[in-house]
Amino acid sequence: MATTRARRKSGPKGEPVESRDRQLLLRIFETMALMRATEDRMVSMYRSGDLLGSLYTGHWHEAIAVGTASALRQDDFLAPLHRDLGAHLWRGMDPAQIMASFMGKATSPTGGRDGTLHYGRLDLNIYNPPSHIPDNYPVATGAAFAFQYRSEDRVALAYCGDGSTSEGDFHEAVNIAAVIKLPCIFIVENNQYAYSTPLRLQSATADFSVKAQAYGIPGVTVDGTDVLAVHDATAEAVARARSGEGPSLIECVTMRMHGHAEHDPADYVPRAMLEEWQKRDPVALYQSSLLEHHVIDEETASKVREAARKKAIEARKTALADPLPDPATVEQGVYAD
Amino acid sequence: MQTDNGQVTYLDAISQALMSEMEADPDVFIIGEDVGQFGGAFKVTKGFLDKFGPRRVVDTPMAESGFTGLAAGAALLGLRPVVEYQFADFISAAFDQIINVMARHHYRTGDPMPVTLRAPFGARLRAGPTHSQSVESYFAHVPGLKIVTPGTPEDAAGLLISSIRDNNPVLFLESKYLYRRLRTSAPLPLEPMPLGQAKVVREGSQVSVITYGAYVSECLDVAAELDKEGISAEVVDVRTLVPLDVETIVASVRKTSRAVVVHEAALRLGYGAEIAAVIQEECFWWLDQPVARIGAKNTPTPTSPPLEDAVLPQAAQIAEIVRRVATE
Repeated sequence: MATTRARRKSGPKGEPVESRDRQLLLRIFETMALMRATEDRMVSMYRSGDLLGSLYTGHWHEAIAVGTASALRQDDFLAPLHRDLGAHLWRGMDPAQIMASFMGKATSPTGGRDGTLHYGRLDLNIYNPPSHIPDNYPVATGAAFAFQYRSEDRVALAYCGDGSTSEGDFHEAVNIAAVIKLPCIFIVENNQYAYSTPLRLQSATADFSVKAQAYGIPGVTVDGTDVLAVHDATAEAVARARSGEGPSLIECVTMRMHGHAEHDPADYVPRAMLEEWQKRDPVALYQSSLLEHHVIDEETASKVREAARKKAIEARKTALADPLPDPATVEQGVYAD
Repeated sequence: MQTDNGQVTYLDAISQALMSEMEADPDVFIIGEDVGQFGGAFKVTKGFLDKFGPRRVVDTPMAESGFTGLAAGAALLGLRPVVEYQFADFISAAFDQIINVMARHHYRTGDPMPVTLRAPFGARLRAGPTHSQSVESYFAHVPGLKIVTPGTPEDAAGLLISSIRDNNPVLFLESKYLYRRLRTSAPLPLEPMPLGQAKVVREGSQVSVITYGAYVSECLDVAAELDKEGISAEVVDVRTLVPLDVETIVASVRKTSRAVVVHEAALRLGYGAEIAAVIQEECFWWLDQPVARIGAKNTPTPTSPPLEDAVLPQAAQIAEIVRRVATE
């Protein structure tokens, strides 16, 4: 039976919640709440047939997506994958445009040329990855290379899952970045399963951050349900990268609470494991922490959650009303001018 | 701009073109295995490290997929990477990044992807099954890539300059057989030459021989021999496989009414199949003979000289087929 591995909390010791920037704390909460609300709404849309095909959700990945994105500047490069919707939201992406991508609408970032999770936008410094993962890892090293080439202090951050670490591109990208000291941060979202494949069939190491040692770079494992732990570990890696000390690897441990995509009932996951993880909802945990430290009160918390829910409802209406692309354009743009 | 007088090899032409683009545009850099201190497996980048430094002449670990993806990311940020693969055979290790990351990126997003992928390809060097491959057909099927196959030093220089300036991924296939065998007859003009233009490299009236890469000079030799027999063969150098200059090929075949397509790649689904199909579609009522295709046997390319020679198209065989198509 697949079990959750012991977590080595080797991330940096965080500042107390109450002494942190309250605006930042609130924005993190709002973005996590919006990610959850958007994905909950899209699950309903999937079931009611609004979407074209698959829906990949990031339930219990909210702390990873938002914790990492919030530790970057807007001009840093992000190379997210399918469970990182909150990173797009942090950069300013409209949930309606994300829904439009899952519906093949002309208003999606690709104008319906690509769909589902493929909604990155270069104007937001977000890469739009192909389905082959982690192809975004080498691409992120290229962005980091460009920053180093131009002596800019920008960094690149790429995400992949536990399954992706078995691909050659993971190794090649991390190794190249380490050798030429690129300002790159590699996130491994360890969510226990790659489709139906459990950790024990993916890797024989105790955790994924130990792999960093073999490349000669720092690696830490953090609780991927703790947004401030993720944020702090990322901030530390970003500071290293910005100052020319090269890449880092951060393993964020969480659970994939839905199937690989919504068609997948994930009945290969032991029920007890899900029940255990059910107690560790990253959005709820963070909300409790904010309440406990009097950063927000109950009323504000409710308002934020309700505003997120309403925004997701409105986004669905917008996306549904959006036009489909014109088939007369289908042969345009294969090549750039 | 002209280089100092004297003849320039196919290899030096590529080297000079790359150097002139790196001098002209600070966003152009070269990346690959052993391109720096060693000067490249075939020495195309000899002296580049001293001239441009390690920032722009980037030695990488052995990781074709990794440095190809790196080039894609750098291109998205506005640089113009030139990637060197030691042999085109090794480009298969980067197939996923080329096909799924580079080739369709512009169609999916509208972002430019200006990357030049330089790969020495082809056989005739007794290098065996995994150092002799013609890889053009693997890639020609994929929308979004351009494919260039120069057959002369002048074209190698001019087309490389245009490839580097192009906003799309361009697979630039260098004939390693020609590297030190062909020389320019005059100083090399380092000027861009448009992609997507074939060239009639020998005028003739009885048959069109359509070819590219190392077989351009081979077919010119064959045409010169046939001329002594009174057979007038026109030779068309395709130069750019994608986009294909259909117009020049069609004009030649409509003039001669007979066509032979020649390449070094294996015959089955070789690029000649596409050219033959285009000729059939566009020139059917002009043709006096079926279009003939000449390519390597459908085997891997063996190492030993008698075996390799038996697999690859030879001049005598090309002459025989062109003679038959021209005269029957």
